[in-house]
Amino acid sequence: MKIKAIIAAVLLSTSVVQAEEINLEVPQNVTLEQGLEAWARMYEVVSHPRCSNCHVGESDRPMWSGPSYGKARPHGMNIRAGESRIGVETLECATCHVGSTSDQPHTPPGVDGDWRLAPVEAAWFGRGSLEICGQLRNPETNGGLSFQEIAGHLGHDVVLQFAWKPGGGREPAPYSLEEHASDVLMWGAAGMPCPTE
Amino acid sequence: MKLTVNGTEHTLDVEPEMPLLWVLRDELKITGPKYGCGIAQCGACTVHVDGSAVRSCSITVGDVDGDVTTIEGLGTPDSLHAVQAAWVAHQVAQCGYCQSGQIMQAASFLDLNSEPTDEDIDNAMSANLCRCGTYPRIREAVKTAAKTLNEA
Repeated sequence: MKIKAIIAAVLLSTSVVQAEEINLEVPQNVTLEQGLEAWARMYEVVSHPRCSNCHVGESDRPMWSGPSYGKARPHGMNIRAGESRIGVETLECATCHVGSTSDQPHTPPGVDGDWRLAPVEAAWFGRGSLEICGQLRNPETNGGLSFQEIAGHLGHDVVLQFAWKPGGGREPAPYSLEEHASDVLMWGAAGMPCPTE
Repeated sequence: MKLTVNGTEHTLDVEPEMPLLWVLRDELKITGPKYGCGIAQCGACTVHVDGSAVRSCSITVGDVDGDVTTIEGLGTPDSLHAVQAAWVAHQVAQCGYCQSGQIMQAASFLDLNSEPTDEDIDNAMSANLCRCGTYPRIREAVKTAAKTLNEA
């Protein structure tokens, strides 16, 4: 019972901390070509280790991959995020990922919110552009969100914002939070096109 | 800055960026939590913040949002916490350096998961390192503590 109460508290709390203002104005007269270019930039972001390491699908093991990790491997110390995706069944992510990110190398990053894995259906790690694009525009696998809501959640979900200020010598995701949100809106305005179309 | 540790409120004159472990050991002279790696990879510094296990080397005192409990505040010699009693019963400790972190982690874990499987125990405790290799005794003590807590 206590586990369920904690998960409920986390779900209620994730959208209220340190919101960042981003422009959610949908651009007009976006061509298909521009939409595909926006998607290509979005794919660079979502497939970057700062994002994909926690988008591990049915696995409950976060990944360690990227330039500062060498060979891709599951998170050390046998970390399991469990069905809760926040590790509450065994070892909470927040045991180590808590508070602000230190700039010291090899220290656990943290945000002013709950460190957690992405939902199971948001499986990105190791997947290609077409597959992730299809997931992101499908309401059944994108959390039932419109493209405006996808852009909006980048503004208020601080664990995502970590990707652009990871600290500790880690490589940040490409572009910026604002540019990524702008690309989501441009891609959406073009009809959420995927590369084969 | 105010910080409540083991039920006592302290007034601190420290930078908010100071790690909680430094505050506990150097400022408040509470030395149960141990310095091991300094980067949350060994678990020796584990304390509770509002009952949840936290690596005190990796949270700044300014980021602490709640009451801190260290091994000194978990139980008393006359009234041991169930985990501490199980640790004695199974004679878990060898050199003992990691043990306060192990016990604090186990106590927090059992508070969340009162009927753990062996796999749950291994997953919960695998980020607390013991260079003496007392892991089999740790697992047995956690199982005993779970039983004690469930019978209470």
